[in-house]
Amino acid sequence: MGFTTSSRAYYLQIDQNYFKYLSRFSGVEIMTTREFVENRPDEAREYYWRLIDPARDKYTATAALLERGGYYIRVKRNTRLQEPILACLFLSTRGIQAPHNIVVVEEGAEAVVTTGCTIAPEMAGVHIGISEFYVGEKAKLTFVMVHSWNHVSHVRPRTAVVVGDEGYYLNYYANLSRVRTLQTYPEVKLGTRARAGVYSVILGLGRASIDYGGAVYLNGDEASAEVVSKALAREEARVVTRGRLHARGRGSKGHLECRGLMLSEKAYMLAVPELSSDTLDATLTHEASIGRLAEEEVNYLVSKGFKRDEAVSLLVKGFISVEENVFPPKVRGIISSVEKLVVEKSF
Amino acid sequence: MGLLEVQDLTVEAGGKVVVDNTSLALEEGEVLYLLGPNGTGKTSLIRSIVGYPGYNIVRGRVLLEGEDLTGKPMEYRVSRGLGLAHQLPPKLSGLRVRALLEAICSRTKCSADEIASALQIQYLLDRDFGRGFSGGELKRVELATLLAMRPKVGLIDEPDSGVDVDSVKVIADGIRALMGVSRSVLIVTHSALISKYIRPTRVCLMLNRRIQYCGGPELVEEVFEHGFKGLVRGDQV
Repeated sequence: MGFTTSSRAYYLQIDQNYFKYLSRFSGVEIMTTREFVENRPDEAREYYWRLIDPARDKYTATAALLERGGYYIRVKRNTRLQEPILACLFLSTRGIQAPHNIVVVEEGAEAVVTTGCTIAPEMAGVHIGISEFYVGEKAKLTFVMVHSWNHVSHVRPRTAVVVGDEGYYLNYYANLSRVRTLQTYPEVKLGTRARAGVYSVILGLGRASIDYGGAVYLNGDEASAEVVSKALAREEARVVTRGRLHARGRGSKGHLECRGLMLSEKAYMLAVPELSSDTLDATLTHEASIGRLAEEEVNYLVSKGFKRDEAVSLLVKGFISVEENVFPPKVRGIISSVEKLVVEKSF
Repeated sequence: MGLLEVQDLTVEAGGKVVVDNTSLALEEGEVLYLLGPNGTGKTSLIRSIVGYPGYNIVRGRVLLEGEDLTGKPMEYRVSRGLGLAHQLPPKLSGLRVRALLEAICSRTKCSADEIASALQIQYLLDRDFGRGFSGGELKRVELATLLAMRPKVGLIDEPDSGVDVDSVKVIADGIRALMGVSRSVLIVTHSALISKYIRPTRVCLMLNRRIQYCGGPELVEEVFEHGFKGLVRGDQV
């Protein structure tokens, strides 16, 4: 099976039997997680199933038993990459895909990892992706994940991230297409003065049942986080967005946003923002909203010469947009493409 | 035949008559001021001219270059050359000023940067439209969208309300730029502050949902001197 890419670092997995990976960057290692565990067991012990308990739920247990593929990416200390490392996981046949992914960005290093997971049309499949990310002190990981499933696929990613002191974890997630069910609740733990920006765009289509959420624990002093989820529900989709910020460190700050846009009379949305604190000295805020496109805004744009469909497109694009400037330049193009696709599919 | 003609127009909004049997003609090259106190129907009149939803014309006609637009939707009227600068445009989350101007300019072949420069809003281009803007910023950005549209007839709703003096000067510059690309401009104002910078060719006074009187530019000074109520005369139209 042929595969070509201009990328200088990538990981490709098709089903459970085809893996291809490469790193031409000095300071970056890529291999399968299985190879990592088998060839470097002492090192693997520090990262393998350390952030996620295999007994957490039936999906993690299934993944632990099956463990079908997954990547190990290590970005060595003080290595700074602007060019993304690509990862692509494709499910071409019926069955369960249960990759276990580990990303380690060591102290002072910076990396961008962009991943896409997809499935062949009409193939019933279950994707249980286990992801354990370690962002070292003063390190930065930008992680972009784009999911494109089909109407008979079930998706249960399990993700945990730990960010060392003064580290930065920046995440962008988008679900672009039909999925039967999707449930995930990634957790991020922040050290002293560590930061997290977690942004997601969830498109619910058809009869999808989506429960997307996540928690950020501001454990270190002066840790900060921004969590923004934008969800759209079309047709008979049911979309739940959850978010939790928990403050433990003094002087920690966080803001949580759950925005829902109803695009159908038959859709259902629920937004559940949660804030909690163990410390007096923390500032946590949240905003949540569910609504339809404001007719006044559509009319305004029509008064500026746009056709009604164009006006709706502009407003939907505006709704799902994120503060692009926080992302590295190489990621902004991906986000623009994602936004364009979401707008096209929201009609 | 006027460029824009409003003939015996009666408009309902929210179940009430908001414009009552009023007429207006706008000639080529005119800068017409529509003066009147708050709540007298000025905004309703220009919104009904562009066919804004919620403003139902129950009697009368709106013609642009002789074409009857009365039953046409706003989308069509705007495509024929009517343009409106709103008094209070909505805030558009996530839609950057630059993106909106560029989208309009892609139709009219204008330059978003040049328009932004003319209205001194370059620093607002990468912000969400309307979000957190001051009154003056909102007016300037709104006028920029009208300038980008390059309408045959520009209808400007209260460009000088809720803005500081410096902004009024910049807005006046923007209106002059609009006069360079549009064939006529109608300015709705209740304070007439803009008249310090833009001299009208004609002034109409609207009271009680109807245009009562039209006259020359000197009518602005009379309004300043006597107020609106002092100008209600026996020769009302």
